[in-house]
Amino acid sequence: MNSHFQSAVVSISVTVVAVGIAMAFVLVVLAMMGHAPTTVMSMWLEGSAGNGTRFAMSLQAAGPLLFTGLAAAVAFRCGVWNIGGEGQFLLGAMTMVACGTVMIPPGPAWCALPIACLLASAVAASWALLATVAERWRGAPIVLSTILLNFIAVAVVGMLVEGPLHDPNTTAPQTASMVEHLRLPILVDGTKLHLGVMVGMLAAIGLFIIARWTMIGFEVRVVGLNARAAAVVGIPVWSRQVLVMAVSGGLAGLGGAMQVSGVSGMLSGTSVSYGYAGIAVAMLGRLHPLGIIAAALFMGMLSTGARHLEGRLGIPRDMGDVVQGVVVIAVLVGSMLATQRFMRPAQEP
Amino acid sequence: MLSLSAISKRFGSVSAVVDVSLTCAAGQVHGLLGENGAGKSTLMNILFGLVTPDAGSIALAGKSVRVFSPHQAQRLGIAMVHQHFALVPILSVVDNIILALDDKLGFADRAKWSQRLRQRAASLHWDINPQAVVGTLAIGQQQRVEILKALLGLDQASNMGAVAKILILDEPTAVLTEQEVDELLPAIRRLASDGVAVLYISHKLDEVARVCDVVTVLRRGRVVHHGTANTPPAQLAALMIGAAIEKPQRTASPAPDSAMSPVIIKNLCLCATNGRVELDDINLNIRAGEIVAIAGVEGNGQSALVEVLLGQRVPTSGSVHGVGSPTQLGYIPDDRHRDALVLSLSLRDNLVLKQYRSLPFSWHGWLSLRQWTVAAKRLISAYDVRALNVFVPVVTLSGGNQQKAVIARELSSQPSIIIAVNPTRGLDIAAATSVLKRLIAARDAGAAVLLIHHDLDEIMSITDRLLVMHEGQLTDTNWPASNRAQISQLMLGHVAGAAT
Repeated sequence: MNSHFQSAVVSISVTVVAVGIAMAFVLVVLAMMGHAPTTVMSMWLEGSAGNGTRFAMSLQAAGPLLFTGLAAAVAFRCGVWNIGGEGQFLLGAMTMVACGTVMIPPGPAWCALPIACLLASAVAASWALLATVAERWRGAPIVLSTILLNFIAVAVVGMLVEGPLHDPNTTAPQTASMVEHLRLPILVDGTKLHLGVMVGMLAAIGLFIIARWTMIGFEVRVVGLNARAAAVVGIPVWSRQVLVMAVSGGLAGLGGAMQVSGVSGMLSGTSVSYGYAGIAVAMLGRLHPLGIIAAALFMGMLSTGARHLEGRLGIPRDMGDVVQGVVVIAVLVGSMLATQRFMRPAQEP
Repeated sequence: MLSLSAISKRFGSVSAVVDVSLTCAAGQVHGLLGENGAGKSTLMNILFGLVTPDAGSIALAGKSVRVFSPHQAQRLGIAMVHQHFALVPILSVVDNIILALDDKLGFADRAKWSQRLRQRAASLHWDINPQAVVGTLAIGQQQRVEILKALLGLDQASNMGAVAKILILDEPTAVLTEQEVDELLPAIRRLASDGVAVLYISHKLDEVARVCDVVTVLRRGRVVHHGTANTPPAQLAALMIGAAIEKPQRTASPAPDSAMSPVIIKNLCLCATNGRVELDDINLNIRAGEIVAIAGVEGNGQSALVEVLLGQRVPTSGSVHGVGSPTQLGYIPDDRHRDALVLSLSLRDNLVLKQYRSLPFSWHGWLSLRQWTVAAKRLISAYDVRALNVFVPVVTLSGGNQQKAVIARELSSQPSIIIAVNPTRGLDIAAATSVLKRLIAARDAGAAVLLIHHDLDEIMSITDRLLVMHEGQLTDTNWPASNRAQISQLMLGHVAGAAT
């Protein structure tokens, strides 16, 4: 049997079982609170995918997670522990808002919008690369520096939102609304499902192709699995790590840009935690681009479904976050067990 | 004292141990011989409680027992010293012992354990400092700590009523220098005369002849021979692999081309950041078509030399010419798991890891995976790598087959320079012989080969020149004009007049 196929079957079944266990756990808790599991499940499905509009809302909720999830997965695959998705996402969003309010790129939408997106990715990528530089220059572990950079990014964005980007018409800490031609087209009337979510899906498919069939994708994988061996066989490890960090930061930034341009049209300076949730999505999607599409959609359905459950049954919507946490733990434990079971070294004399 | 009867164990479709029966008496050293994959370690892991047998039984002093965990094995009076030590390098010797054996709550009594440790060491005529930090000890010393740990465990068990005293040594000499081996073997005899039953796993025939009383040969999981240790080595070897093996015959290199020196090392010095001299004025030319071997006790600068040659470290002074980009070099590293293989990737991906950038394996950045499969299949048949297929993760291969895969990858592109570090470590005779033959073939095809190796016998069976490294200095032994004793002296740093 082809090992690609075998490991895909193992990963998918482990993940499905883990998700099942997590949902069962939460259903048991809810049953103890007096909610019948069948009602909860049908209500959840109805709220998250009951009709086209609801499903579009779930897709929209999945959008930012798709980008931050891909950002985390790209980096983790290469052994670059970029935990800075949060800050990179915010800086991308901030750059997009700046482009939509005070420094509008020239030209019509088909020209200005891509420029703004590129700029947002570039700002976020540069921010991410600070961590790579700090590692190279002073040996600062990326896993720490990216977390710390998140705090700085949140503070910087907060400062800009209350300063140069602040909406003069209000005292609330928020920016002005973006000009209409820098807003992303909405795909489904009556929802906020915007073009950016489709861009995210295309990005995932593109990354899948790169990972599977290109030299650069192969090299990144080898670096992630054994950097020493990669160096010994002549792969430029450092330059691959730089590239990956830039792509990872750029994706997170693009996600932020898409989110403000497609959904809110402005920024209110508060942390959104899409960056951290993206790490959970990456884990749930087993760092596989196509898996991440599914994971982001599942998480999106969790949040819209949880909102529906709150409205109809009075179940706190935080239950959605609980499911998310339990799912991630279950997937991590499950994949460790699967590794022990299926990737065991040969019995040697 | 110990008897195993009709033990069988299957892993999936592979029969690791088939119907093996074995007895071992107190005061006896019982050699267990076999190739990689013959089932030696599986059998011992069954005895030690790490693996549950499918069939068969174990009896200690006539009483049938079931061993289901190493902890329980220890209580029954079975101890095992693994090939890879289980010591904490930053702790002292006595703390390592306490960590393993002191199961009382509360404060550990270091003085008491040090005392026991010294006594035990003295009984083997060993001298050991309980306060020494394990990480600072030589490998041979660390192994003594492991053995003492096992023995103290046995003492503890017998105080608590265990009837047996069985010590399993899994390839104890694999990591030792010759000197250390010469010191270890008498200690094992002494243990036996104290009444311990020793099971000695090895694939080194001469050692088995020196230390064992009886020997059992396993092949493909079955006992193929049982007899006294004075069975002629050639016969044992034949039994192990099932056919007479042909040792590589040293043939003088056809024509080392003096004009062509692919590797020229001049006045090479390397100092560590703390000022310690790692390489001290190394001068070495390696000519096309010759094998130059460097012998020496590990940790005398061999790995530093390799790192400089590979460009991983910058020399303090001096120069290295010739070793270009890693892709033009055949490099067989000491630690294949760390430096050569990506364990979770498939065998195929590992086999093309050096060539995927060139045609036909990739085209303008796109991978031609079909070509990879074709090339990988060709390589595994040419180099006799045994695997289910080329798509299995390389981690599932046995050590010998992993090493063959590394060699297939590194040598198939016919590099002009080859650096091989301990290329046969952990391999059985047949696999080791095939590796050495590959090196000879590469030399005959005109490669300059640098062989850094721990096994003097194997070095002497293939090398053209033999140098010794000690404390960062390289000395030519003028071999074959010098003899083993002189070379051993040089390895220990004694500059004997005759050999220099």
